[in-house]
Amino acid sequence: MTLWLMAGLLFTPLAWAVLTLLTDFTRGRLVTWGGILVQVLVSLGLWLVVSRDGGFYYALGGWQAPLGIELRVDGLAVTFVLLTAVVASACGFHAGVYIDPDKPWHRYFWPLFWFLWSGLNAVWLGGDLFNLYVGLELISLSAVGLVALGGKAGALRASLRYLLAALLGSLAYLLGVALIYGQFGTLSIAGIVFWLEEHPVPAGSSLALALMVAGLALKTALFPLHRWLPPAHGIAKSPVSALLSALVVKASFYIAARLWLELGEPLGNLAAAQLVGLLGSAAVVWGSWLACRQMELKQVVAYSSVAQIGYLFLLFPLTYSVSESVSLQAQQGITLQVISHALAKAAMFLAAGNLVLSTGSRRVDALTGVSRFLPFSLFSFALAGVSLMSLPPSGGFAAKWLLLQASLGSGQWWWVLVLLVGGLLSAVYVFRICRASFLESPETNQFYHPHRSLEIIPMILALLSLGLGLVSAEVLSVMALPFEEEGSP
Amino acid sequence: MIRTVRALAVAVACLAFTGLLGASIWTIAGNSTPVNLPQLLSENLERSGVEHPVTAVLLNFRSYDTLLEIGVLVIAGIAGISMAKTASLEDPEVRTSDSLLYALQRWFVPLMLVLAGYLLWAGSDRPGGAFQAGAVLAATGVLMRLGGVPMEFLRPGLLLRIGLALGFTVFLLVAVASAIGGDAFLAYPPGMTKILIVVIESVLTLSIAMVLLALFVSAPVNDAEDPEEGSSS
Repeated sequence: MTLWLMAGLLFTPLAWAVLTLLTDFTRGRLVTWGGILVQVLVSLGLWLVVSRDGGFYYALGGWQAPLGIELRVDGLAVTFVLLTAVVASACGFHAGVYIDPDKPWHRYFWPLFWFLWSGLNAVWLGGDLFNLYVGLELISLSAVGLVALGGKAGALRASLRYLLAALLGSLAYLLGVALIYGQFGTLSIAGIVFWLEEHPVPAGSSLALALMVAGLALKTALFPLHRWLPPAHGIAKSPVSALLSALVVKASFYIAARLWLELGEPLGNLAAAQLVGLLGSAAVVWGSWLACRQMELKQVVAYSSVAQIGYLFLLFPLTYSVSESVSLQAQQGITLQVISHALAKAAMFLAAGNLVLSTGSRRVDALTGVSRFLPFSLFSFALAGVSLMSLPPSGGFAAKWLLLQASLGSGQWWWVLVLLVGGLLSAVYVFRICRASFLESPETNQFYHPHRSLEIIPMILALLSLGLGLVSAEVLSVMALPFEEEGSP
Repeated sequence: MIRTVRALAVAVACLAFTGLLGASIWTIAGNSTPVNLPQLLSENLERSGVEHPVTAVLLNFRSYDTLLEIGVLVIAGIAGISMAKTASLEDPEVRTSDSLLYALQRWFVPLMLVLAGYLLWAGSDRPGGAFQAGAVLAATGVLMRLGGVPMEFLRPGLLLRIGLALGFTVFLLVAVASAIGGDAFLAYPPGMTKILIVVIESVLTLSIAMVLLALFVSAPVNDAEDPEEGSSS
């Protein structure tokens, strides 16, 4: 049973990438809908198996680590697998209606979409440093391909910048992996942790962790390495922007967080942890401020991503040399932040895409009067905004609440200021969009009405993000499940 | 002045980083690693079906990595051809009528094809394999294209897409078929390891060559009518 669930999870996205490569856009859409069904069922099945029996290691090809590759299937991983299934299928359905099927290059959307999905699953489950690198490459290259789709000059410029940033990040990570391999002779994270538990930390291995985290921070667009993100996320098609913002940047953060939680205590130091937290805080303030000043709708959403990513990096100071309970609170808060931001930002980008489609302009001031014509999309946008502003009962609120408690519990009160300022500034940019759309102007009465299903999908995502706060205890309980230790190297 | 200062700062930063890296490698090189993978590898080599350790790692022990890496190559190919502006990639304007190149080509192309075949075969017991053979095959294609040999199959049509995906598909089918037999994924059935690896390597060679060649021929052609050109980013 588990064998088939793993097969479905790892191999159907790859198989569907090949199938959709051989069809055109319209037939690819039908094929994709079938694939989405399989993926959602398989992800749900795996989540149920893990929430019943606990996590396990899965050796590929029958070769145990360190010789082969082992996948680590635990509560956190399956939660993210399920999150990916929800967000990616929403974006897939939206893209099927949103994207113009007559442009010949749009046929390549589906294979890239499926490769992106398979890369994401590979990263969530990866327990091997080099395998994680390959997963990152799958994600980065298909994301760049999706941004560049069509090859217009602006898209090419943005995607080339994205590609160079992503490659630089990958190379820094790979250099760190090479140093780790030279030091420990193995690529399995569990193997390294196992060895470090019984031996003193060898000299020179902190640089490896620093390099890996720095490379991943560049790929996650942590301030001040965020400059590549807004052009790429702004110019891509809205379903693509939603995927990039909701899932792609989370993949590199996820690896950085896993490395920090496993290796941070022995290899890291207090100054580095505080520095990363400081950069995250700067991202929150600076990103939100820039989001308030953008003239284009999707740029506002993109800069808001820069800000929300900043919160994630508070994980580093809040888990370094603090008590067990504070560290757990911080981890839970960050996990909820990842999930709620993924749902809210996907909803926001999809709704923004509907608004852009309807007004025929990317600018914020073109939204004048749109509230009467597209209230449903605007409402989804605002609901997603509620989660970003972290008002109760949203998932964003639960996340910030846990982070607040962790900050106070560890005596690091300065992060509380960041949480407050970030919340206020996000209210400013969300209200600015709402204000622009409620203005009335006599001459603008020409609006295009998007298909009804385009409006429903962001609403579902926004409601999920809003309702996350109510079920956060259930969501977090799956992550706390015991891990089956047999099979660990 | 500012430029000089900036260049100086970058140079100092690069030097400092290199120094730090060098020092770190120096410390690491002195220690012996707790896990001795090369030894583990040679102990398991006879179970892998091939004699060369690199091929054994790539196509057996860590075949999942290789499968995904081929996926990365296919993505690169897809991204490349999705940006191609021309319907047919066989552009008469790019043709050269260089008689020296033409003469060389008649000597080189068959030689390079044989070399690619040899590299593929050599992979089983010495350095070589699908990646190297594919690269040589692609280089042959580049030479043929520069010499103006028509290559109609490289039009972004179904044939090209099948070619791109062929190696990946066969690899994937083997991976899934091995699970139907009851073993784990990517675990080759006993006794068939060698033949399966040879089949996978052969189709991979074709697909890798196809990806590289497609990237070379379908580089985006600059079109003058693009409205966004000239607007600052």
